[in-house]
Amino acid sequence: MKVNKDKCIGCGICVPYCPAFAISIANGKAQIDEELCFECGNCARPRVVRCPTKAFEQSEGVAVIPRRIRRFFSDPTVADAVTKVPGRGTEESKTNDVTGKVLRGEFGIGIEVGRPCRGTTIHQVEKITMALAELNVEFEDCNPVYHLMEDPKKGTFPEEIKDERMVSCIIEFAAKEEMLEPVMNVIKRVADELDTVFSLDFIYRFDEDGNIPIIQKLNDMGILVRKNAKVNLGMGRPLVVD
Amino acid sequence: MLIKEEKDLTHSLHRRGSEESLQNDYIILVTSAYGYNHEGARDKLLKVLDVVFEAEPDNLGSNETGTIYSGVTIEEIKENLTDVPRVRCCFASKEKMFKVIKKIHEMDLGLSVVISGLIDNVIDMANELDIKPHTVNLSLEVWGNVETLPPEDVLEVVTMCGHGLVASGLVEKYIEDVTKGKISPRKAAEKVAHPCVCGFFNPDRAEKIFAKYAQK
Repeated sequence: MKVNKDKCIGCGICVPYCPAFAISIANGKAQIDEELCFECGNCARPRVVRCPTKAFEQSEGVAVIPRRIRRFFSDPTVADAVTKVPGRGTEESKTNDVTGKVLRGEFGIGIEVGRPCRGTTIHQVEKITMALAELNVEFEDCNPVYHLMEDPKKGTFPEEIKDERMVSCIIEFAAKEEMLEPVMNVIKRVADELDTVFSLDFIYRFDEDGNIPIIQKLNDMGILVRKNAKVNLGMGRPLVVD
Repeated sequence: MLIKEEKDLTHSLHRRGSEESLQNDYIILVTSAYGYNHEGARDKLLKVLDVVFEAEPDNLGSNETGTIYSGVTIEEIKENLTDVPRVRCCFASKEKMFKVIKKIHEMDLGLSVVISGLIDNVIDMANELDIKPHTVNLSLEVWGNVETLPPEDVLEVVTMCGHGLVASGLVEKYIEDVTKGKISPRKAAEKVAHPCVCGFFNPDRAEKIFAKYAQK
């Protein structure tokens, strides 16, 4: 984003709305640190910041790679051209009743890098994907992160995009249940090497009796499972049978 | 490193807050799957929108428009539904949430319905309606450099916007304003709801969090 200095009156109303802390006031005008800016579009939404002079504008570079990447992953009003899915990931568990991406005997992982509050660079994302690639996980191809990779087998990204920052993005994959421990061990290890944070999603099928036995298994591994979750009620059709 | 489990976190997953605070915090998302059943879904979603709007949601929005708290109307949300549409809204009442699930279940539209909330409560509602839940997305907490995160009260408010558009700095500003008596907790909650474009943000919960500062 950029500020039209001719329009800006320096009122500062916009400053606290920026999740990247990229807006400041200098010499009586708002200014945006382009390096920090996620390109989430918050500041330019007339119903959010309500800038009295509508001084925020799209920066020229945001329409092209690499800067375009920031916007894709940070602005939920923009849908990915490949996946048609708005936002940072796929539909993960939301439509699993129809897509069957995660079946019984498997688990799905979503690593929401940068969430909450911190944001991330591709550098940080690559640390995780490279570590997971050592386990030969197959990253979800219906996901924007996959399409940025230089080599999905190695979890690497092109050098020219590694400094791009975003609110968050989601590394996704599914694996057989016997891979649970190795996968969680890699995640634990790589978490300690990051400058940012990630929120961890774990996607799993209910068993025939409506239970989630994996919770006990995760607890036994010392992994906390929150009491609130997303539950797909299985109303989608045609329903996947596994 | 993991954040410790003093309080809870979850897009609609990873909302933080105590179990008590999450008792009245539900998100419903109704969607089609692109490439599977998205054709014709738009008309079905329009019917769903009518159902949720009749139930008086505590927040409702879409990525294309923004939310009712930012001044968007139900008509605008309907007009802007895409070819792969989603209906999302927030209910601060289990009773309201139950009625909506029941109605959508009866409509049998073949769309995926996802409820976020306390797992036990969601399963209870499903059991009562003879619905067999299919898949769960569990929140396994926050990992990495968690020492750099803002305080818990700020996180509780921020994580109600899963797209990360509610800035921690905005929440901190309104905590300060409420503390100084410059704004009411309700007004602060509504202001902070503006950046959440999809309608997941629960202003009732936010109001309660801000109210703690008004009492100080």
